[in-house]
Amino acid sequence: MGEKLNIKNTASEKKDFSFKAYAWKQFKKNKSAIFSFYILVFLVFIAISAHFVANDQPLYAKYRGNSYYPAFETYFSPTKTDSTINPETGNWEKLQFDITDWKQLKLESVVWAPIPYSPSKPDRFNREYVSPNALQYYKNPDGKRVQAPTKFRHHMGTDAIGRDVLSGLIHGTKISLTVGIISMGIAALIGIFLGAIAGFYGDTNLVWSRFRYYLTILGVVLGFFYGFIARNIAISEGFNESIGSGLLQLAISLIVFIGVAVLLNYIGKVKAPGFLGKSKKIPIDSIISRGIEILNSMPRLLLIITISAIMKERSLIMLMVIIGITSWTGIARFTRAEFLKIRELEYLQAAKALGYSSNRTIFKHALPNGLAPVFVSIAFGIASAILIESGLSFLGIGVPDDAVTWGSLLSLGRQQFEAWWLVMYPGAAIFITITVYNLIGEGLRDALDPKLKQ
Amino acid sequence: MAFVISTNAPGDPVERLSKSASKEGAANEQSAATKKVKQDIRKRLGLDLPIFYVSLAAYADCDTLHKIDDKAQQENLLKLTRKYGNWQAVSRYYHALNTLSEEHNILDIEKIYMDNSAISYKTIGEGDTARIDTIINATYSKNEINDAKNNSSFDVLSLLESYNEPVIESKIASLEKIYREYKFLKPLADRFTVVKASFIDLKQNATPWKTYIPKLIFHWENQYANWLFGSKKRGTKGVLRGDFGTSYIDNQPVSDKIWQKFKVSFIFIFFSIILAYLISIPIGIYAAYKKDSAFDRGSSILLFIFYSMPSFFIGTLLLYTFANPDMLVWFPESGWQDPSIYNEDWGLFKSMAHHWPYMILPLFTYTYSSFAFLSRIMRVGMVDVMGQDFIRTARAKGLNEKKVVLKHALRNSLLPIITVFANIFPVAIGGSVIIEVIFTLPGMGLETFNAILNYDYPMIVAIFTISGFLTVIGYLIADILYAVVDPRISYS
Repeated sequence: MGEKLNIKNTASEKKDFSFKAYAWKQFKKNKSAIFSFYILVFLVFIAISAHFVANDQPLYAKYRGNSYYPAFETYFSPTKTDSTINPETGNWEKLQFDITDWKQLKLESVVWAPIPYSPSKPDRFNREYVSPNALQYYKNPDGKRVQAPTKFRHHMGTDAIGRDVLSGLIHGTKISLTVGIISMGIAALIGIFLGAIAGFYGDTNLVWSRFRYYLTILGVVLGFFYGFIARNIAISEGFNESIGSGLLQLAISLIVFIGVAVLLNYIGKVKAPGFLGKSKKIPIDSIISRGIEILNSMPRLLLIITISAIMKERSLIMLMVIIGITSWTGIARFTRAEFLKIRELEYLQAAKALGYSSNRTIFKHALPNGLAPVFVSIAFGIASAILIESGLSFLGIGVPDDAVTWGSLLSLGRQQFEAWWLVMYPGAAIFITITVYNLIGEGLRDALDPKLKQ
Repeated sequence: MAFVISTNAPGDPVERLSKSASKEGAANEQSAATKKVKQDIRKRLGLDLPIFYVSLAAYADCDTLHKIDDKAQQENLLKLTRKYGNWQAVSRYYHALNTLSEEHNILDIEKIYMDNSAISYKTIGEGDTARIDTIINATYSKNEINDAKNNSSFDVLSLLESYNEPVIESKIASLEKIYREYKFLKPLADRFTVVKASFIDLKQNATPWKTYIPKLIFHWENQYANWLFGSKKRGTKGVLRGDFGTSYIDNQPVSDKIWQKFKVSFIFIFFSIILAYLISIPIGIYAAYKKDSAFDRGSSILLFIFYSMPSFFIGTLLLYTFANPDMLVWFPESGWQDPSIYNEDWGLFKSMAHHWPYMILPLFTYTYSSFAFLSRIMRVGMVDVMGQDFIRTARAKGLNEKKVVLKHALRNSLLPIITVFANIFPVAIGGSVIIEVIFTLPGMGLETFNAILNYDYPMIVAIFTISGFLTVIGYLIADILYAVVDPRISYS
């Protein structure tokens, strides 16, 4: 049976050989990588469903004859409020889902989340670092303080003010994974674009007329003026309002900047007479490579710490952006090296001979072929982004005080030596996630670069 | 780069320094003395100068804005200028407001009180008890006068920091009301009419189109030049000659403070890198030589685990295991020396003997990750070389294995491990922040952490510049090592 399948596989491969299928097959052969991949899928699942896995609001509750789905309803509107009639007094009573202590209500029937605690809400009966094995207390709906039933135990203990560590870990997964993915997404956008341009054009292949060259420089200056100087009040006002609108204003500025520069560049295509009409080589590769070297000459962690330290307001989004704009150099270098190789290949010569525009050649023909090593770099990059984020939250720099992350949990453990559960569990979570990404990165490298495989 | 960070830092350094200089006075209190102190500090820090040689600004902008003392007012004026596009009118408005606000300081409450009471004094006044009568018959009590003055002064101060038209108009209306109600504020009211007129003038003569035209301004004397090269006028030497300014925390020169810290950090980074190379090269060689053996597999799994362990996790675990009264107390928990025993005059060996228990755990934390990284690279490089023809030739010649591996293979496989020297160095510097915080070592990393918590920007900038410099030195060393290992490479 197995042999038959194999024959079939090889036959179909011969007919339609695709690099993707080949790479996936190679990747699947690597046991540790595929195992890590499944762990990652599991982590992603936890991160997405964190709100329903660990929540102090029940998934379903029947109270005074009415049915509620608090966890689902607060997912869409966090401050969802309902009201019920108190049968004893006959008065309407307000019921705001997220601040109600559901454990104290006399619910007729209830389905709790697997972990019935929210990450940032303290449990006042289990304060002062309660160990996972120690006696834990619980106040039942009758108002009696009893030993906690298994359902309401803190399986990974609590911190100084009684927050559940397991719940914090589960919600921390969401933060860590998003930091890794979004910051590397930003880094990949910048890195692939700059690396592709640098590698494709090199120092000699980008030739503009002098007119266009000078006009582009003017465009960059003007774009900077209209994007950032004329709009700096709008930006600072946006940041005063909220991080989100600040970033939006910043994005608008960036679009204005790029728009003006590109517009003037296009105007520069007009044929100019005399001195201005002479052609000039643009050393785009040197410019980008020097930029990479300058950014590399600064210790990255120190750079990120310093930038996030001067931010007026600490927020995770800001942190992602900062990590993203400081870690694109590796990706850019890989893309550049790959493009230097690719541009000499015959099919790109053919594209040139057919008169395709450079943009089309770069992004449609060369890029899909040059992305393989970039994926490897991105996988390792995500691991290091997660490491940086947890390091920063460990130090308490750049991350908001109320955010419960793996790093911040670990740093709580430093203050209290007896609380080993505050060190071990978050540390293990960080370690597993980083290992998973590193293993996937290695697997990808082996799968995508057949030359390395001996 | 460091300079850009320092100029964009939030908060006003002048406010901080003036507060640390004289620990009294509320933030809003603008007495003449504190103003003078602030101006002196601004002069000393050179903040009354423009930032860079060239600045790109809107045509409407005023090019002497940096001379304004207060940073918040400076920003507000910029916003006003950007809104109305007419800095001459804005400056008239600002000056009118300023004279109005100064008028508050010279307002004599006692005199107003007497003046207003004098009326009743005259109507009732007969004989010696007149003074007592006046107090009873005063039109306004002192408190009332004070309140009115404070209200008006508050409104004026907030006018100095608001740029929103409705806000300004409502403030002006409320000021008008105050002056109408309390006639004794006549001198203020006179100044106020000027303010109002200038604001109306500002609104009418707005030229917003001017904010969309760029202009370049050149400044020969600027903060950047002073920061880099120093200035004779202020007696600073500039970063290029090792002067990083003064710390905001205690007003000490940063360069003096940082030198001690630098030594501690450097010892750790230096030893850890040397150790990492010393351990990883033999391990890599052996693993590659016995490729696919139990040692190779075991060590690569272990190294991979090491490589993925965050340093703050390892550090905390080490502390938890080896410096914990409940577990083992082999090493001291934190710090660098025992202040009760340590003597500054001790010789090198004696102080080393004193320091070493403090060094073991941090040194391990510093070393392990780079050592795991290096071993893996060494192994890959060695495996690569061992498969090449010249090794087979060496073996065919009948050379013994030791010579083949250590002489022929080793030298050729060193190149990749040297390449990464340039990468390990900055990682070690950045990692020092976390490690030194965990073990409370008095090095640059801990200093960075404290500086960030205290917003001590000159210190941050100094550390940043120095570590950038060290990184470049790391690149240089790597380049030199290339040429040493591989004679084919030359830099001539």
